[in-house]
Amino acid sequence: MNCRSFSTQSKPKPKVSFLNLQGSGMSAIERLCLEEALLSHDPLKRSWAIVGTHEPRYNSYLPNPEFNTSNESCLIIMGVGAGGKPDSLLDIEKVKRDGVLAVKRFSGGGAIVVDDSTLWTTFIGRNDDFPHVDPHSESIMAWSANDVFHKVFANMKADALHHNIISSEKKNMVMDTTKSCQAALDNETSGKHPTEDNSTLQTTEMPDFALRENDYVIGERKVGDNAQLIVDGAWLHHTTFLWDYEEENMSYLTLPSKRPEYRGERDHDDFLVKLRSTYALGDDNSSKRAFFYHVKCAAFEAFELEEVLLKDAMKVVDDLGGMKAWFEGGCRTKILDL
Amino acid sequence: MSSAATMMMRNVARRSILQMPRFTYPSVGSTRLFSAKFTESHEFAKVDGKIATIGISDHAQSLLGDIVFVELPEVGDEIVKGESFTSVESVKAASDVYAPVSGTILEVNQSLEDSPETVNKDAEGEGWFVKVEMSDESELDDLLELDQYKAKCEEES
Repeated sequence: MNCRSFSTQSKPKPKVSFLNLQGSGMSAIERLCLEEALLSHDPLKRSWAIVGTHEPRYNSYLPNPEFNTSNESCLIIMGVGAGGKPDSLLDIEKVKRDGVLAVKRFSGGGAIVVDDSTLWTTFIGRNDDFPHVDPHSESIMAWSANDVFHKVFANMKADALHHNIISSEKKNMVMDTTKSCQAALDNETSGKHPTEDNSTLQTTEMPDFALRENDYVIGERKVGDNAQLIVDGAWLHHTTFLWDYEEENMSYLTLPSKRPEYRGERDHDDFLVKLRSTYALGDDNSSKRAFFYHVKCAAFEAFELEEVLLKDAMKVVDDLGGMKAWFEGGCRTKILDL
Repeated sequence: MSSAATMMMRNVARRSILQMPRFTYPSVGSTRLFSAKFTESHEFAKVDGKIATIGISDHAQSLLGDIVFVELPEVGDEIVKGESFTSVESVKAASDVYAPVSGTILEVNQSLEDSPETVNKDAEGEGWFVKVEMSDESELDDLLELDQYKAKCEEES
């Protein structure tokens, strides 16, 4: 990985601890609990970059409550304000009928549906480490889009285009081989020479990533949801990117009355886009690993990165009495009683 | 009363009026509280005896943008100076609000539940969050006076 200076004026890069939760078995709820603990109770007051995918329902650290549910494939997560008025954002009847779990998180924003394919990224910035980022929502989002995600998606696009070209070449080689064999067979029978195939490769047009009215988009479609919590001396910015999702799960969300202008009247199917449809590299696991690799590369360029193991990060939670005590006590992530 | 005495009294009165300290409301903000003190994290406390009315400053609401939600605590809750006791939401961000003084919540501004925009319109007036019975009035001593707070805001911007 190339290491570029944080700025042309040789300013030190922010020191950031990198935590990779891929394959950790941590659930989405546990991830939220860990994030809040690291923001508000890290005795070392570190800045963090955290990536991973998470099981929507089954916990590794918290006890698993018994739910009579027919849909365990997803979890509904609501912002601090939205969680107070779930009927304004959810089809409550459908949610209850299917026994889908809903939780309130500590950050702002509306309601989202996550599953095990959702790609999570979180940045925790201490103001002292990030003097160039005003601790306000718009500044934080502009920073993340410009300094991190533009690079991530530019690399994802390059990977996908390269993958498409390679796939086309292989396909054409197979076609050429087949045609050559057939032509050879035909020539043997007819005495003629085979002609070359001059068909050109098709390049896929991929819309670019952008920050639009506080949303991350690919073209005109939203590709993930982000939210912030701002505390004294620090901020947390987390995003859930939609790699793939079940349309049926999105039907738990109603059309919000407050929505960005660019959305218009579009329902979730027309408004959202799956990253998989644009950036798939063959198999999903490789593609998701590629995404997180590019996030880490972007982080490596922007920060002085130190990798931290989960067990070391969990010491912060252990000092709060453990995950269960933290979740049941001061942690603001709570299961909603609909 | 003789005319000379009347004249003297009028002169004394005129001098008294000229010497009286003038109170001017600062130009920033819609409604300034007469005895408000401020924290460095942009909360205010207006004190009336042992009761402090607490909220976020007009400067804070201007930084936050449109406020869409105020998470109100409960009457009877204890708050501790310097610790977060509630949060406000704006533009996808929840921002913690810190207690300028310690005490017990006596009253919560329930109108903010349906009209959080009141905080934007009149942060230091109708947009108050809670009224608290202070447990230690000396905690007011290290809060900022209006002039100090204004200077801090100008320095930040």
